[in-house]
Amino acid sequence: MGIVITASATATHTDPGTPASAVDLAGRAARRCLAHARVSPSGVGVLVNVGVYRENNTFEPALAALVQKETGINPDYLADPQPAAGFSFDLMDGACGVLSAVQAGQSLLATGTTERLLITAADVHPGGDASRDPDYPYADLAGAFLLERDADPDTGFGPVRHYGGGDRPTDVAGYLDLDTMGSGGRSRITVHRTPGHEQRTGELAAAAVAAYTGEFGLDAGRTLVIGPDAPAGVGDGPGGGRPHTAAPVLGYLHALESARPEGVDTLLFVTAGAGPRAAVASYRPQGW
Amino acid sequence: MSTTERRSRIEALGAFLPAGRETNDELRAKVPNLGDADVRRITGIAERRVHDPDPAAGEDSFGMALAAARDCLAVSRHRAADLDVVISASITRVKDGSRFHFEPSFAGMLAKELGAQPAISFDVSNACAGMMTGVWLLDRMIRSGAVRSGMVVSGEQATRVARTAARELRDSYDPQFASLSVGDSAAAVVLDESTDPADRIHYIELMTCAEYSHLCLGMPSDRSQGIGLYTDNKKMHDRERLKLWPRFHEDFLAKNGRRFEDEEFDHIIQHQVGTRFIEYANRTAEAEFAAPMPPSLQVVEQYGNTATTSHFLTLRDHLRRTRGAGATGTGTGTGSGPGAGPAREAAGAKYLLVPAASGLVTGALSATVTHAGA
Repeated sequence: MGIVITASATATHTDPGTPASAVDLAGRAARRCLAHARVSPSGVGVLVNVGVYRENNTFEPALAALVQKETGINPDYLADPQPAAGFSFDLMDGACGVLSAVQAGQSLLATGTTERLLITAADVHPGGDASRDPDYPYADLAGAFLLERDADPDTGFGPVRHYGGGDRPTDVAGYLDLDTMGSGGRSRITVHRTPGHEQRTGELAAAAVAAYTGEFGLDAGRTLVIGPDAPAGVGDGPGGGRPHTAAPVLGYLHALESARPEGVDTLLFVTAGAGPRAAVASYRPQGW
Repeated sequence: MSTTERRSRIEALGAFLPAGRETNDELRAKVPNLGDADVRRITGIAERRVHDPDPAAGEDSFGMALAAARDCLAVSRHRAADLDVVISASITRVKDGSRFHFEPSFAGMLAKELGAQPAISFDVSNACAGMMTGVWLLDRMIRSGAVRSGMVVSGEQATRVARTAARELRDSYDPQFASLSVGDSAAAVVLDESTDPADRIHYIELMTCAEYSHLCLGMPSDRSQGIGLYTDNKKMHDRERLKLWPRFHEDFLAKNGRRFEDEEFDHIIQHQVGTRFIEYANRTAEAEFAAPMPPSLQVVEQYGNTATTSHFLTLRDHLRRTRGAGATGTGTGTGSGPGAGPAREAAGAKYLLVPAASGLVTGALSATVTHAGA
C-alpha cells in the first residue's frame, strides 16, 4: 500500500487592506486542494495543521479546528443528519512539520483511522503583515496536501527519517517574550537566527539527503531533491520573506509543473531548520 | 477501525506538581472585581498548584514537563534512549523563564535533555485535548508498527492566564472567569505494545466539532502584559455540547455491535473542569446512554483545571492511591519520596477517559490498566 498526494494547493495573502490570517490562508489552500481532487469536505477524516506562526499568537484552540470550520469539514456532529466525525489538531515541528505530519499520516491511513488526511501548512506574521517586520524572515503563505492510500505499494511516500544536529544548539528560535511584550503580544514575534545559520542548515540537509539515499539505496541520477528551501523566487512575500512550513508544497508543485528531468522518477523531500533538525522522505509520483 | 491486531498499552505514568499552592482566599485577594462570586461553589475547586516564577526554580512549562518525563521514566521499563518517539502537548510552551516558544519543537528539546535522540519528536497543540491527541497518535503509530514505544508529555504554566484574569476581570460573567479555575502541573505517559488484555488501550477515538471552535480562545492580552483565555462558558458547557461525547461514543460502539453498559467500565475520568461540570457531564451521559455511569474519579478539588494533563494526573493519582503508594507527590520529590516509589498492582481496572476541549474536541479512551508504573 502506498500513501499518495492526491491534490496540492497554495494560497497567498493578496489583500493588503486586511491582516493576513493563517486560518483564512489554510482554509483557501484546503478548499482548492479538495476542489482539485473533487472531494467533498465531509470526505476528510483528519486535518493536521503544521503552521508555526499565526494571527494574534493564538495558542488555543488548535488552529486546525478553526481551519476545519473554515473549510466546512464535518463541523457539527449533532446537526449533521448523517453524522460524520472530523478530527483536527496542530502538529508543530518547525520547518519539518509537513514531513512529520506525513509520517504520522502514514500510521493514520495504514490503520484505517481515516481514508483521507488533509495537511495544511500556513504561517503568517502574528501582526497580520510579514512585510512590515524586517526582522521576520517568512512569507504570509499556506500550502496543503491531501493524502490517501493507493493500492500500488511502489508509488507514493517512502519512509520519513529525521536527522539531528547532535549537541549543536539550535540556529533558529521563534518565540514571544512574555516579560517584555507589554500589551502588544498579539502582534509581536521574535525569530532569532544565529550568524551562519543558512550554511549550517544547508550542510545538515545535505548530510541528511546523503544518509537517506545511502540507507535506501536511491540512485542520485533518478532522484530530484525538493528542498530544504522553496525554489528561488517561489512563494516569496512582498517584503522578501521566504516560505516556511509550506516550502515542501511549493517545491512539489514547482517540480510537477516543470519538465521532468531525463531519467528521474523519484522526488526526495528534504526539510531542515530549528533544532537543528532535518527530515527526508522519498516520493514516487503517479503518472509523472 | 484498525486493519491490524496490534494494540498499545499505558506502560507508565509520571507527574510533576509545583509545591506552591494557592487557596481560593489567596486567589480572591488578587482579583479586585470578583465581587461576591464564590469560586468554590461555582467550580468546586479548593486550591490549585502554582509555579515558582523565579527562573532558577525550573518551573516553566519546559522544566515541569522535563520533571514529569523523568518521573515517568523512573517507573517505566524503558530507558529514554529506547523511546522511538517523544510527543509534547503543552498549550503554554514557556521555556527560558518567559519565552513562549513556537520553534524548535518542545518535544525535540525535551528529547535532547532526556537523552532520547534520535527519537522522532514533534509537538501537538490541541487545547486541553493535547495529551489525549498525542496518545491517539502514538496508539496509531504503535498499531501500524511504525514505532514500538513512545512518550507523550506536557507541562503547563496554566496559571499565567489566571494572573491576567485577576488583573482584567470585570465581573463573574467576564469571559476570563474560567481562567480562575486553572492550576499548574506536568504529566507524562509512556505507551508501548500490549501483549496482555490486562494492559491495553482498547480504543481511543477523537472528534472535533469545529462549529464551536471559537468558544474558547487563548492569546496574549491586548489590555495588559500577559496571556489570556477567553471562554464563552455558557455555550461551551451547554447541555447540547455535552451530548456530543455520548452520541459520538454510542455511534462508535453501535458500529461494533456494542452498547455502553457492555463496556463494564470500572471508572470514568472526565476532563477536570470543575466538580459541577463533571457531575453535569456524567448526568447528561446517563440520560443519553440510558445507563448508569461508573464511579467518577477526580483531582480537580486540589489541583484545579490543569488543562492537557488532567486525565493523566487523575489516572496516576488513582493508581497510586489504590496501590497504597500515596497520592501524587509535590515538588521535585514526585516518585522519589518515602512510600512513593514505583508502585504496581495485580488487580487491574477498566477506565474510560473523556476529553472536553476547545475546538470542540471530545471522544473516548477505553483502557485496562493493571501493571503500569505510576
